[in-house]
Amino acid sequence: MSFYSPVRTNAQEAAKSDSLPLFRFVEDPEQTKIDTYEAHGGYQAWRKTLTEMTPEQVVGEVKNAGLRGRGGAGFPAGVKWGFVPKGSTKPKYLICNADESEPGTCKDRVLLERDPHAVIEGMAIASYAIDCHLMFIYIRGEFGYAADVMRAAMAEAYKKGQLGKNIHGGGYDLDMIVHTGGGAYVCGEETAQTNSIEGRRGNARMKPPFPAVAGLYGCPTIVNNVETLASVPHIINRGGDWYKTLGTEKSTGSKIFSLSGHVRQPGNYELLLGHNLKDLIYSPKYGGGIIGDKKLKGVIPGGSSTPFLKPDQIDVSLDYESLASAGTMLGSGAVIVFHEETCIVWIITKLIRFYRHESCGKCTPCREGTAWLELLINRIEQGGGKPGDIEKIESICDNIMGRTVCPLGDAAVMPIKSAIAQWRDEWQYHIDHGKCLVETKCELAPGN
Amino acid sequence: MILTPESVTRIKDAAALYPQAKSAILPAITIAYRQVGHLNPDLYGEIAGILDIPAVEVAEAASFYTMFPKEPVGKYLIQVCHNISCALLGAEGLLSYLQDKLDIEVGETTSDNLFTLVRVECLGSCATAPMMQINHDYYENLSRAEVDRIIEKLTAEAQSGGTL
Amino acid sequence: MAEKTDKNTVVVEKTPTVTFTLDGREVTVPKGTTILLAAQSVGIDIPTLCWHPKLTIAGSCRMCYVEIEKWPKLAISCATEAMDGMVVYTDSDLVRKGRAAVIQFTLMNHPLDCPTCDKGGECTLQDLAFAYGVDNSEFDFGKHRFGATENDTTFDDVVVGPEIVLNRNRCIRCYRCIRANKEAFGEFDLGVFERGNHTEINVAPGRRLDNPFSGNLTEVCPVGALTHLDWRYKIRVWLTDTTSSICPFYSSGSNILLYTNQQQNKIYRATSRVNDDIDDGWLSDTTRFGYQVAMSPDRLKMPLIKKDGKQVEATWEEALKLIGKRLTEITEKKGRVCIGGLVASSQDNATLFSFSKLLRKVVGSNNIDFRTDYRMLPQTSGGAYDVLCSQPFSIVGINQSDVIVTLGSDLVKEHPNEYLRIRKAVNFGAVSVYAMNPYRTKSSDVAKKELVYQAGTEEILINSICLVAIEDGLIDSSLAGNLAECISPSTAAESAELCEVNLEDIRAIARALADGRQITFFAGEIVGRSINREAIAAALCNLHRLFGLSGRCQMNILPRHANSCGAVQLGLLPAPVLATKDMLSKLWGGWPESEPQTTDRMMANMKKDEIDGYMIVGANPIMLYPDREFATDALEGLDFLMVADLFETETTALADVVLPLASWAEYSGEYVNLEGRVQKTHQALKTDYDARPGYEIAALIAQQLEQPLFENDQTRDETITKVLAVDSTLPWPDEFLEVKHVADEVDEEYPLVLFVGDDSHHSGYLTEKSNSLTNFQAEPYVEISPTLAKRLGIDDGDSVRVESPVGKIVVPVRISHHINNDVVFVPMNFSGKQVNSLIMRKSRVDRVRISKVVD
Ligand SMILES: Cc1cc2nc3c(=O)[nH]c(=O)nc-3n(C[C@H](O)[C@H](O)[C@H](O)COP(=O)(O)O)c2cc1C
Ligand code: SF4
Ligand code: FES
Repeated sequence: MSFYSPVRTNAQEAAKSDSLPLFRFVEDPEQTKIDTYEAHGGYQAWRKTLTEMTPEQVVGEVKNAGLRGRGGAGFPAGVKWGFVPKGSTKPKYLICNADESEPGTCKDRVLLERDPHAVIEGMAIASYAIDCHLMFIYIRGEFGYAADVMRAAMAEAYKKGQLGKNIHGGGYDLDMIVHTGGGAYVCGEETAQTNSIEGRRGNARMKPPFPAVAGLYGCPTIVNNVETLASVPHIINRGGDWYKTLGTEKSTGSKIFSLSGHVRQPGNYELLLGHNLKDLIYSPKYGGGIIGDKKLKGVIPGGSSTPFLKPDQIDVSLDYESLASAGTMLGSGAVIVFHEETCIVWIITKLIRFYRHESCGKCTPCREGTAWLELLINRIEQGGGKPGDIEKIESICDNIMGRTVCPLGDAAVMPIKSAIAQWRDEWQYHIDHGKCLVETKCELAPGN
Repeated sequence: MILTPESVTRIKDAAALYPQAKSAILPAITIAYRQVGHLNPDLYGEIAGILDIPAVEVAEAASFYTMFPKEPVGKYLIQVCHNISCALLGAEGLLSYLQDKLDIEVGETTSDNLFTLVRVECLGSCATAPMMQINHDYYENLSRAEVDRIIEKLTAEAQSGGTL
Repeated sequence: MAEKTDKNTVVVEKTPTVTFTLDGREVTVPKGTTILLAAQSVGIDIPTLCWHPKLTIAGSCRMCYVEIEKWPKLAISCATEAMDGMVVYTDSDLVRKGRAAVIQFTLMNHPLDCPTCDKGGECTLQDLAFAYGVDNSEFDFGKHRFGATENDTTFDDVVVGPEIVLNRNRCIRCYRCIRANKEAFGEFDLGVFERGNHTEINVAPGRRLDNPFSGNLTEVCPVGALTHLDWRYKIRVWLTDTTSSICPFYSSGSNILLYTNQQQNKIYRATSRVNDDIDDGWLSDTTRFGYQVAMSPDRLKMPLIKKDGKQVEATWEEALKLIGKRLTEITEKKGRVCIGGLVASSQDNATLFSFSKLLRKVVGSNNIDFRTDYRMLPQTSGGAYDVLCSQPFSIVGINQSDVIVTLGSDLVKEHPNEYLRIRKAVNFGAVSVYAMNPYRTKSSDVAKKELVYQAGTEEILINSICLVAIEDGLIDSSLAGNLAECISPSTAAESAELCEVNLEDIRAIARALADGRQITFFAGEIVGRSINREAIAAALCNLHRLFGLSGRCQMNILPRHANSCGAVQLGLLPAPVLATKDMLSKLWGGWPESEPQTTDRMMANMKKDEIDGYMIVGANPIMLYPDREFATDALEGLDFLMVADLFETETTALADVVLPLASWAEYSGEYVNLEGRVQKTHQALKTDYDARPGYEIAALIAQQLEQPLFENDQTRDETITKVLAVDSTLPWPDEFLEVKHVADEVDEEYPLVLFVGDDSHHSGYLTEKSNSLTNFQAEPYVEISPTLAKRLGIDDGDSVRVESPVGKIVVPVRISHHINNDVVFVPMNFSGKQVNSLIMRKSRVDRVRISKVVD
């Protein structure tokens, strides 16, 4: 049984490289053990943090590194940490967001399953930076194996004195809770996640107040993605100045890209930010091209909620700014590739079903709007589309976009708007002819 | 009491970790689900009693999360991801293959009570698509042949009285 | 805003403000004000669905959009604070479009069954769809339907509680009901389930929606998703008129509106008439559904007079003649002091005052009282108990407190409105609540600590708070004076032990009292009904003095009935406080010589043949007097008994003359609430039979005695105003009072302590005539703890025998977590079971035993 994800990685490349720190040891089956982790230089950054650095210095170093959140929004981590009110007497909390549920995204799972101590170490350093003494990792409920690995790693970390009371004699106490979810994409959203940890329904909360001011239990709370936090120890070890040399000017460092869909070699690849998207898809080192030598039809570059790129747009640098100029987003770095024998409406039916299913139901536009969109899109896909349906979809999208409590509403409509803008003819054909312009051929492999 | 003393202890231990007992709702639901295989109002009442919170709060939370069946299911709960990355690589084919093989529709349980087949949204295993989760384990990079092997193995396991 | 820094200095801080532009006009509001509230303050109405003035902000409906210059998206005004320099538009094109879209989304799955919806005509969604010209014709799919269940009646309605009907398809998921139920009422019988577009409101599994505040949910719901059976399909709201009134059951006098139709001469429902100073817009179910009492078909419609031992119907004339004749006979034969009266404090001012004058001036005795269910009251007034009862109290004062302490009050049952106030203080403020009760009550939901003491030890408990303050040096030692000599036991530890409470808990209360800046401290019915009330009050006076609470604490023993305060102020006590007595004797040109007699004393004297004629108005002592045998013996021993009431009761059954009394809904009247606030009811119904208000009855009797009471109604009311203006506040004692422990004997045969009182859906003896309220609860029961039930092998619903040394009843068991192990509770609201036959007027603590009835 495949507990340990059999996903393909570029660990070998990373092992040889000096600039792909996240994946260096992920193919080492012993890496989950604390002794191995330490032998590989692990927990040195934590020790250094506790013994040599003030919280301000840690925040400063991470700011200097330019590390941006890897969870989707790309907000600078150090800046976020700086939002925790100074001198607040309330407890502060750190939550490592391991809910990984955005379709296409499967990068955090590799770190959780194969390098758990790196995550713990990053969480610990971030906790210190914000004066948190109880940190949480919120792992999506289905990642049972990852949670087991994490719990075992946590137990080891306690045993070895990396967590607990008076760590490394520096007088700092830090406890950790592994919290598992129950199947809800929206619980990846930071305010819904705090509700979920509090034992409430995973509804999103209004912002402001922002979690950094009033989050978990009403206390200042920082939520960071697994990958963001796993990058932190490297920044502490080698300095923000070093980290800045990786990637592009505004998108520093390395990032894991989950490549899925119609490519020969799907997998998780750690690349420097700024890597060329086309290379990721076609290079024999990574994607190896489209299966069956079919023609590429489109790419979702940053997880299912980001706008599509057409083949003529994929010669683009994978960094926050370049993708923004291309009209899309880096998001969680989940690159989903599909070839010519895929109907765009068919793709959108999968996505809207997902967002309708995952809407928390709190706010009107998202709750009702996603349901309406699903009905309309399914109707078109099933051949019953009516004239005006496309416009209606667009108008519903506009009435959801920017009007919801949390960004799930935006996430639901961005790909739809983009799919219509990019392949409008195909939508129109669907309505006019009651069938697909291109018939989708996505078959289960026979295997052997 | 449906919950075993072990489950009760585990719930209490979980509650002790958090700043507020209510936080243990999700862990408690998870523990109850792992023990029973599905959730129901009696369990919500028991959990509420252990955590000293109103039962409705447990029920509200439980109904929000889709990972836990609210009705009894077969020994093996097959959850096939039908989201985009899996769909591109044949998730619908996987579903119909399983339906034919087990002679049930999605949402049904085989007459021997061994398998229940359901569709689920993205399980975070997109680069190893198509995939499915059976009870708590992931099965990835699936093909027809692979599915045959898995079902065969589980059937044999069940016949030899193996545990989950 | 006045910010108090310590007990003595008040520093006035200027509240920071913000100035911004709202639809072109400059508006200045306190910092932190939301755009919605700022707009409301200048008369700009922004539509809302999920927002509710008394609840936390959900921000979920998205109806209240406004456009803010330089903001990338529309903002929700209910949750966005106004900031300096903002430029806000509440009605721009973009805003209107945004709102129209929200309505469209909301209507998508809404059944649009307005023609058969009871909310029609007062539905926010209907109004907004109309205002924004939106229909749902663009949605050309089948609507999502929530599954039908067995309970379904018509359409998609599910009866989810005794009164409440839920239609999930109409629900717009504003979560107002959930917030109200959980936040404002602390109830958990309703929940939100599933998610996304399947999100539904529903009752908790295995529960029914029957909490004491459930009726509010129908008002809170902006659409017809939650309606109540009582109102359904009876009338369209636009065919009704409204009459303002107040609640006749509780002492806060919640403000209500009665919906009537004159042609039908019917009241159709009662809703809140929001008055933030009193009720915040919430009503207890008893208040809401109590109006049905007035319309009960069982109402007494004609006078009855006893002929040959049997009551027969008579005319008013006959009845009044008889009264006049018998009263005159008695006075002539035995003297004025042989006539007495009991006029309930649920009656309006005019009635109370008229009977007071009738007895004192016309008859000429001091035999008048308004208390039915209080045992062994002191003969004289002005003691510690009266001092406490006379202290000023303000309901909003509860919300301004930082410490709230209650003693002996099952709040939800006797002061539901104040319970909600305390909840509000806890939800929206920084307040510490301490409840001290002889059994666990729902106060434990709001209290930092509900301290459960041994029944009957209140005064020792209060002593212990004082003692711990002295021992721990929490108070200025010079204040302690000779207190230690006045009380026993003399150490906190010993006292705490007698009360069976933890000294640490006592200490916490003492500390809170010492540190509190604004304290509310009140006692309730458990103290009021106690035979020991004078000692408890003395202990409280001592505490007030020791902690130097003057000026920073409102302390009171709260009155229980709608006009208890009016009764006291209008001189219905046998010995009114001096100021009132002076005023009355001035008005009436003298004061009767006779010794003042309380209800209890009068009853004792009835047996001794010293009281021969008795008039009862709106009271049912046979059912409620805390000693049924005593009361029955007394009333049966009378030569002449007159009872005026709404219904035939076990008391009217003994009467020589029974008069049909008009209900509060049938005439306009005034009532004084527990704050001393005078409030009016207005006539909502005309009786089509001959029931008369109490004041009219008094006047008619006076006529029979040939001494008219008042020149006219106006002179009567002017006099009342004068009397009410008298300041009847009594000064706190200027020395410590003696409060010594008296041991209570416990009969091992009867190990359980019995408490009686109101059910949470009833009040007094009348509410069992309200159909809705009996739908909630129709029968008495005995409430016991799960542990006791287990010990006795009793299941919920089993019949048990409750036995005291003097009586026994058989009732079903209700197992409740809100009671502790050695206590049982039986409600007194139901006439069938003679609950008061279990109790004795002389016992400090009532004790019983219970056993399962095996059939
Ligand atoms: C609907 C929704 C789902 C999200 N899911 C995830 C998730 O699975 N993992 C994650 O790290 N962030 C997720 N996010 C983003 C988080 O809200 C948050 O921005 C992030 O965890 C912050 O971490 P970072 O700053 O390190 O990226 C989600 C956001 C939304 C709106
Ligand atoms: S039932 Fe009424 S109050 Fe409750 S959420 Fe639905 S619409 Fe709102
Ligand atoms: S009233 Fe503001 S969002 Fe509902």
